[in-house]
Amino acid sequence: MPAERAGYTVTMFLVDTSPSMGTTRTVELPAGPNGEERTAEMTNLEWALQFVKLKIQDMVCTLCIFSSSPQYLLQIFNGRKTDQCGVIVFGSEETDNIIHDKNGGYDNVSEYIPIGHPNAGTLAKLDALEPSEFCGDPIDALIVGIETQAAYLSSKRTWTRKIVIVTDGESPIEVEDWEATVEKMNGLDISLTLIGVDFDDEGFGFTEPDKSHMKRLNEEFYRMFTSSLKLGIVGTCEEALQETARPDIKQTKSTLMGTILRLGEVDTMGEEAVEIIVKTSKCTALSRPKSWKKFAIRESVDEDKEAESDKDKQKEKEKETKKKEDAARVAYAQLRMRTEYYVDRNGEVDEDGDFKMDDSDSITLLDKDDSEEPKEKIKEEQLEKVEKEQLVRGFKYGTTYAPCPDGQFPRLPTKKGIDLCGFFPAKNFRRELSLGEIQYVWGDPASAQQQVALSSIVQAMYEKNVMAIARWVTKDGMDPKMGVLTPVVFDEVDCLLWTQMPFADDVRKYTFASLDHLVSKKGEVLTEHPFIPTEEQREAMDNFVDAMDLMDAGERDDEGNRQPWFDTLLSYNPAIHRTKQAMFHCAVVSDIATNPLPSPHPELLKYFDPPKRVLKRSRDAIEDCKSAFKVKQVPKKVAKTRKDGHAHAQDEDDDLLLLERKQPSMRAVQAQVSIIQASSSNQQSPSRSKAKTDDSETEEEDEEEELLPDSVKKPTASPPARNKQPLPTPARSLSPEVDPGRAPGRIIGSTYPLADFKKNLAQGDVVTKAVEDLSTVITEIAMRPFSSRRSKELLECMMAMRDTSLNEDEIDAWNSFLTDLKDKCTSKPGNQEFWSQVKDAGRALSLISDKEAKKHGGASSITEEEVDKFLA
Amino acid sequence: MAPYDDWNKIDEEEDEELQDAAYFEGKRDVILFCIDCSESMLELRDDPDYEDTQTCHLFTVLEAAVQIQKKKVIVGPNDAVGIMLFNTTRKSETSRTQSELKRGTYAYQPISPLSAPTIQETIQLLDAFREDPEELRRAFPPVKGKKVPMGDVFTSCNWVLRDGAPKTATKRVFLITDEDDPHSGPGSQQLITSARTTLIDLTQAGVTVEPFFISTPEKPFDVSKFYSSVLLPTNLADEDEIDSSDPSVLPESISISRIEDLLAQMRFHEVPKRAHFSIPFKLAEGLSIGVKGYGLVTEQKKGTYKYFIDLGERMEVASVRTVYIDEAREAEVDKNKMVYGMSLGYTAAAAEEDEEDESKIDSNVRIVKVGKRPFYTAEDIRSFRTLGLEPGIKLLGFKDRNELAFEDNIKHSQFIYPDELAYSGSKRTFSALIKSLVKKKKIGLVLALTRKNATPMFYALLPQEEKVDEGGWNDPAGFHLIPLPFADDIRAAAVEKGFRASDELKDAARAWIDKLSVKNGAYPPDSYPNPALAYHNAQLEASAFREQYDPDSFEDLTLPKYEMIHKRAGALMKAWKRALVNDKSADVVTAPGKLAGTKRKAASLFPLSLLF
Repeated sequence: MPAERAGYTVTMFLVDTSPSMGTTRTVELPAGPNGEERTAEMTNLEWALQFVKLKIQDMVCTLCIFSSSPQYLLQIFNGRKTDQCGVIVFGSEETDNIIHDKNGGYDNVSEYIPIGHPNAGTLAKLDALEPSEFCGDPIDALIVGIETQAAYLSSKRTWTRKIVIVTDGESPIEVEDWEATVEKMNGLDISLTLIGVDFDDEGFGFTEPDKSHMKRLNEEFYRMFTSSLKLGIVGTCEEALQETARPDIKQTKSTLMGTILRLGEVDTMGEEAVEIIVKTSKCTALSRPKSWKKFAIRESVDEDKEAESDKDKQKEKEKETKKKEDAARVAYAQLRMRTEYYVDRNGEVDEDGDFKMDDSDSITLLDKDDSEEPKEKIKEEQLEKVEKEQLVRGFKYGTTYAPCPDGQFPRLPTKKGIDLCGFFPAKNFRRELSLGEIQYVWGDPASAQQQVALSSIVQAMYEKNVMAIARWVTKDGMDPKMGVLTPVVFDEVDCLLWTQMPFADDVRKYTFASLDHLVSKKGEVLTEHPFIPTEEQREAMDNFVDAMDLMDAGERDDEGNRQPWFDTLLSYNPAIHRTKQAMFHCAVVSDIATNPLPSPHPELLKYFDPPKRVLKRSRDAIEDCKSAFKVKQVPKKVAKTRKDGHAHAQDEDDDLLLLERKQPSMRAVQAQVSIIQASSSNQQSPSRSKAKTDDSETEEEDEEEELLPDSVKKPTASPPARNKQPLPTPARSLSPEVDPGRAPGRIIGSTYPLADFKKNLAQGDVVTKAVEDLSTVITEIAMRPFSSRRSKELLECMMAMRDTSLNEDEIDAWNSFLTDLKDKCTSKPGNQEFWSQVKDAGRALSLISDKEAKKHGGASSITEEEVDKFLA
Repeated sequence: MAPYDDWNKIDEEEDEELQDAAYFEGKRDVILFCIDCSESMLELRDDPDYEDTQTCHLFTVLEAAVQIQKKKVIVGPNDAVGIMLFNTTRKSETSRTQSELKRGTYAYQPISPLSAPTIQETIQLLDAFREDPEELRRAFPPVKGKKVPMGDVFTSCNWVLRDGAPKTATKRVFLITDEDDPHSGPGSQQLITSARTTLIDLTQAGVTVEPFFISTPEKPFDVSKFYSSVLLPTNLADEDEIDSSDPSVLPESISISRIEDLLAQMRFHEVPKRAHFSIPFKLAEGLSIGVKGYGLVTEQKKGTYKYFIDLGERMEVASVRTVYIDEAREAEVDKNKMVYGMSLGYTAAAAEEDEEDESKIDSNVRIVKVGKRPFYTAEDIRSFRTLGLEPGIKLLGFKDRNELAFEDNIKHSQFIYPDELAYSGSKRTFSALIKSLVKKKKIGLVLALTRKNATPMFYALLPQEEKVDEGGWNDPAGFHLIPLPFADDIRAAAVEKGFRASDELKDAARAWIDKLSVKNGAYPPDSYPNPALAYHNAQLEASAFREQYDPDSFEDLTLPKYEMIHKRAGALMKAWKRALVNDKSADVVTAPGKLAGTKRKAASLFPLSLLF
């Protein structure tokens, strides 16, 4: 494809609104949470308009997806001004176009949206399009489109011209003289994209059964027509819609920044010191998904009635045809962020004397940790809000205040430039220390001599196979960074690549137990141990590594040789593109529940699994590894038996006590000992670990209920069960097919109640059932032994449930659930602890009073007093 | 440095980098230095560094403790440190908030948040010792005769920590002694048992003991005499109490060193080892092992300033809270009620008002019919970021080592190490994989979601074999997890064409490069302390100590060794410059450096700028 100038484009969308476009179709939606199929009904016009809207949405905010820095904000808001479009409908009731105005004819073709930079209004206007009672001729529309575009661009001849026709091909076409149109379009370099509803497409694999004769003829015509164009294509609508989600990289060329590459002391040794004018540009730069804006339902729209009444009237008038006059509306307001400052004047009165620490704690927690919400609320009450103007800046030196009104101390004086410090062999480069984004360093493109100068250094480094250590200061007075420069010899230019390397402060030297060197208590080096792979295991691994090799697993190149699989240049950041797709989607649809986001484009997921070819040939190797290594998931920790310290006495016996190779003693005087390895690890004897695994499997099945009395009773059989076990990886992360724990007839399971609940709500319709089932599940879990592990989760469930109850008129259900929960928790055996946590949450988890219910348009039989009493 | 406000603006969902940091900031670290104060620790000896000066082990240990405190006070201003001495007859004063300690143990500095005065107190004590070497012996008289039972020492540690350390903190005892056999003679078995029992109590309270044993030629330290039967293999503490992501297998932490290396040894342990993540590593369907991820290289930034308010008698930090408000209503909105969408102005609905009188438009509102919700929940948007993946590493296959290019870098790497406690057999599998990849010169390619809130990324898995290094630091066995850039992150080369050097000129450059190359050198991180950070911290310390800072005392170790450069290569550099001026390669009147994608003629840019 020829390189296009970004922007400077006018796209004409020609939309068919003939009666046949009103035919309804069933559109498949992404599968529901349980894999059930879901569909939606819409007209062909609505369906096809999605394509137009997504394309226009792309024009509206192309930039905003890819730039996150604030300085672009203005640009983002305006999008790219030179990306413009207009919309013409054919099959409209009235006729309104420039050719008709002049010469008549061209009936039922209307210029619906004049050419301009699209804005939010453009999309809304498209939504208002409805199929009419009249047929329009696409060729008429095409000619009108060409003329309208030409008139608009009469003084902007270099702009790119595009036309998109969206039609179902069911209306008659006046095909006479079409060659003249082709000639005209080719003359103006207009590209034509024809999106056909249910057009046949062999490549995509779609054929429409029972196609009308008219449509068959029209499709043939379109194919012939577009193939005569220099730039023309016909596509079926379904594929077009899918392709709108294809990840699309806007190649950004980075700005060149000037600096100086130096060697030696320029000021005093000028005749020897080297200075080369260079330009740097980014080679890699981390992109992130665009951030979301936060919204919330604005409470009681009534208050605003006066201000909005005009607007309302107008709006309702517009929509009279399809909406009831009294349609209730909800306003979602975009939220702004505000920073508030609080101070705790009574801090020092704190009994424990550790107030200072607590206070600083709240700094971190307030913003970052949702789970601390209840605690936070309590804290807040002791805090006093202060204005920013009353505050001074400073640093904390422990608990000591170190004044620093400027917010920073004088900076280290530095001089802009890249200083070479020395060279070292490239093979000694430690790739894992590379800290960040890579930069190119070019000889000044404006000076041949500077280019030659840099080239000589690059080539000499390349020849000697060395890298340079360098110190980079981006601007006078900026903090220096240390890094490494490597020579790159391209076909037509030489340059250096820079990467930042860590300072001493940036490296953490944690100690890790040796994997190989295990020493027994008696000082003997062990060659056999469950931690050390055996000969057989190593061989199984070697075979696995060979089988899973990707070097020949990719596409074939021109000579038919297989290429390596995976290329960074083709790996799209799934989060960025999925987020973009989701943003566009919610901007063009009116409801997420009934019109959920389609699946991600397959291109995003193409590297998510090893290539089939590799999986196939490694099947045996994988099986061998499985049987050779016998890896078993260790069951999740059972609640701690606290005071079992005495049981450890048994370790006194001659259990093998492993000592590992000594961890670094600097120029150690004495090197014999250092690390004592697990003396009673379960891996010692295969039989033991096997027995243990069996337990684990049973436990896994019950997921959260692994309090089987069995495993509690046998701590001595498997000592590690007493050992502190850090967060054993939850089984649920392993496989998406975890049993959701749904009891028969229930839509909410005990495994992921919150997720189930949300999924069901997203589907709509089943709110009552969802609330009812969640009530049961919460109560069940809370009454189970050891449920404290899940209290946080339960509280979240309750938050969600209360919120839903309030907004979905399930207030009575909530109130009766809560009353029941309280009874159960406070009676024997009960769960007093959990109930007190519920109480701590205060009103946020209490009964819903009549007052609160009213605010949300519901009703409740509980009074404010009763709520207060209930919590007491 | 980003001002504090900006830091707050970053969304919890949206900035992974920040979460990394938050992880470390969120968890407080408490260290109790537990120092043996017996006769041998106080024994005076000649200072190896200063003539006519005497020192003793205790002095060196306290000096090291001060250094650690000075570092911690800046890196973790909320951390707490205490100093307890044992085998001294000095008695702790008891107070309302402090327990009475076991006989022979003395809490010199109870656990408390770090502050300038506590650090200065120790510095003054050390200065006094320099004046009069009897000072330490006077301050902490050693016990005569029988040593304090180690069981009592651990019990006192437990009490000191209980009194002063916040429950949720990472609690560590740095045990420093030169006595490898405190309980020889009759009854030793009983003392060993009690030491062991009390140590179990300590670990069950969530405390890790990290011993630093001092060994001298006259008095070598032999762990097998006493400590190997006392120290526990694994941390036994209750999972509710401790940082459960950190197994702190105690034996990893033993260090035995000369007194001179004590500080260096402590530096290794200065930051508690905390795993960033603990997730399964799936090698194939049905074959997963457990791994933990650590950040071995992360840019250490300057601290952020805070806002203080003057309360008269003291300065108090103001807590910063970010709230979201509906501006038109001035109402704060609860997090649970927020939904997420695209900025208005782009959305269809906002435009409905568009054609009306501009002044009436509330551009901040999207009006929809009741029951319709064109917005997502927080959970929805998380799933857009994760693509529905659960945290874990998934192996995609293997590639040649040289496929990992220099330029395939975007941010710092992480390090993974097997987690036997999540999957038994992880270590042998992991170990076999390292050996196999090293042998075959291969790297792994994996897809990983390291945490629930992260985004999936592709990583190169670079194997690292254990290296036994004379220099004191051993590279541990493990894999470096190197994030690969996405197509979205890769920028095109901005220059496509340029003038190149002749062989003569290249050779002239080669001459001085040869002189400036370190044969077996590599980039040495340890040689380059961050000068800007050190400069900042020195001023911060001076400000806290109420001292004047003298900028002239600062030495920037990252500056090139100019003198050496000119001495070794000065003449050759000069020769190269001469060769450059005479070089004909650039002596052409056509376009020099061609900027990619532009057709600009650059002939006008002549004549050459004569920079040299």
